[in-house]
Amino acid sequence: MSAKVWAFALRSLARQPGRAILGILGVAAVGALLFDMLLLSRGLLVSFRALLDSAGFDVRVMAADAPALARPRIAEAETAAAAIRALPDVDEVASLRLGNAIVTGPDGGTHDIFFIGADAQTRRRPWILLEGRDLGASDTGGPPPLVVNRRLATTLRLRPGSELTLRGDCARGVASAAPPVRFRVAGFAAFPFDDPKAMTAAARLADFGRTCGLDEKSDADLFLVASREGRGPEAAVRAIRALRLDLHAFSNEEIVARFQQVGFSYFRQISAVLSTITLFFGFLLITVLLTVSVNQRFAEIAALRALGFTRRRVVLDVLAQAVLLVGAGGVLSLPLGLALARWLESILHAMPEIPAAMHFFAFEPRALATHALLLALTAVLAALYPMRLVSRLPIAATLRSEMVT
Amino acid sequence: MSPPVVEARGVTRTFPMPAGPVVAVRDLSVTIATGEFVSICGPSGCGKSTLLHILGCVDTPSSGELLVDGRDVSTLGDAARSALRLSKIGFVFQRFFLLPMLTAAENVELPQAEAGVSRAERRSRTSALLDYVGLAHRTHHRPSQLSGGEAQRVAIARALANRPRLLLADEPTGELDQATGQQIVGLFERVHADGTTVVVVTHDPAIAARTPRMLSMRDGRIEDGASR
Repeated sequence: MSAKVWAFALRSLARQPGRAILGILGVAAVGALLFDMLLLSRGLLVSFRALLDSAGFDVRVMAADAPALARPRIAEAETAAAAIRALPDVDEVASLRLGNAIVTGPDGGTHDIFFIGADAQTRRRPWILLEGRDLGASDTGGPPPLVVNRRLATTLRLRPGSELTLRGDCARGVASAAPPVRFRVAGFAAFPFDDPKAMTAAARLADFGRTCGLDEKSDADLFLVASREGRGPEAAVRAIRALRLDLHAFSNEEIVARFQQVGFSYFRQISAVLSTITLFFGFLLITVLLTVSVNQRFAEIAALRALGFTRRRVVLDVLAQAVLLVGAGGVLSLPLGLALARWLESILHAMPEIPAAMHFFAFEPRALATHALLLALTAVLAALYPMRLVSRLPIAATLRSEMVT
Repeated sequence: MSPPVVEARGVTRTFPMPAGPVVAVRDLSVTIATGEFVSICGPSGCGKSTLLHILGCVDTPSSGELLVDGRDVSTLGDAARSALRLSKIGFVFQRFFLLPMLTAAENVELPQAEAGVSRAERRSRTSALLDYVGLAHRTHHRPSQLSGGEAQRVAIARALANRPRLLLADEPTGELDQATGQQIVGLFERVHADGTTVVVVTHDPAIAARTPRMLSMRDGRIEDGASR
């Protein structure tokens, strides 16, 4: 379309500024919802993948392919970890124990916290140290070290160097008979899977075992594995599966794919349905606006045709108006959609056990491209009916009826 | 000798209606020679506007031939007919049909832009045309800021913008008071005197009386096509 077509379409829209603004605002609202649905359709996947990748481990090994609560532990974890660590495709293996503990606050009240036992020998950690020191591999005398999250530190008014006592509650509902263990806070850390209200602490495996009354060399809940650089997680997964048929190894890619099929498919379906409805409303809005506009301008369009405007030219004018309305509304819809996404995100994050670092609405360039493509398609489809009206407009009959009326 | 600007040969135009077809123009032949100033008059519904639309290539006869500059246009497609109208035929309507969002100058520039005239040429030609119709001082006014007579003058300037050979006007004074109407007819006389062939449809005998040739129509036929 030439510049004169765009300029003419712009002037045509500007002659009814109120209607044009309403149309643009309508498209902006529709576009914002569409944008949010697109962000939602893959948001959880994208942020879940980022969470999995955040610690630098790209393979997870479990004893069974079952949900965490129903999953058996990996027996003789130290031996198994050593064997996996020896594989040429594997760079590092971290054993993890997951449990709960009870701490007493300064006000005398008790708090249930999420308690992690982690291999202190590894370079990578399943958390990000924010302040203080990390867990050391060797004892330095005094109480064993503990890293805690900010929420726990704030609640118990802890600082690096503070001491606190943990009573283990690790055997899935069965209270530990082990005596409480006094820990020294080595540092503060961010645990990627924490929800905003979670209080989490991590200790070395041996100290975790002592707190929970477990054998130091006993089971592990999970191995976090980092593949060797240049080999890739798929090779590491293959090697682990070949080594230990009884264990279940998954790359982060596979875990995300699995969640995509089951866990997150609801969001995709909701997003697809709402996107379709949203686009349909956008389509109706533009079609109605343009049809009304064209109907009001029949005589004028017939006059233009009589003056020498081709059928193609007047049809392109309608299409250009649709594109301008949708284009302007589409551009407005982006900041509107982002603001709306932020607000909806805060509402959804009020749900329990949603990791703070998990986002329902995650921006990806492809969402922007899909948004633009869908809106462009809507503009064209919405313009079809008014374009048809214009293309079939009989010049003489229209001029004649104008004279009569 | 140059061919007639437009020539209709045995033209009939029938409109299908629920109560049966209505014949608006019946086996009509007419020739408009170069440089003529012709009025088509007759009672309401006699087919004069339909004939004008056929002569201006905005309507297609149900039967018969139409020749513009000696060329049969009956079989031309939309693009070719539009190009023909754009370059050779100017239209003036009773209700002006100026685009309300454009200024007088922009309305006159519109068909020129469509015809691919350069911006500089458009500006110059538009300025000259608005001066020609006596509206040099109203260049940047929008149609809503013009009187009926001024709007029709702008419409005439627009119709002349691509220097057509044939200027067609359908009841050009129908929306104007008598004095203004007479001024508009005076402007047509000037356009004609400057070499453009002019055909005006009117039901006003006073206006028809001012044209050298009058085609009087009744029931889709020309009753009298005498030159004076």
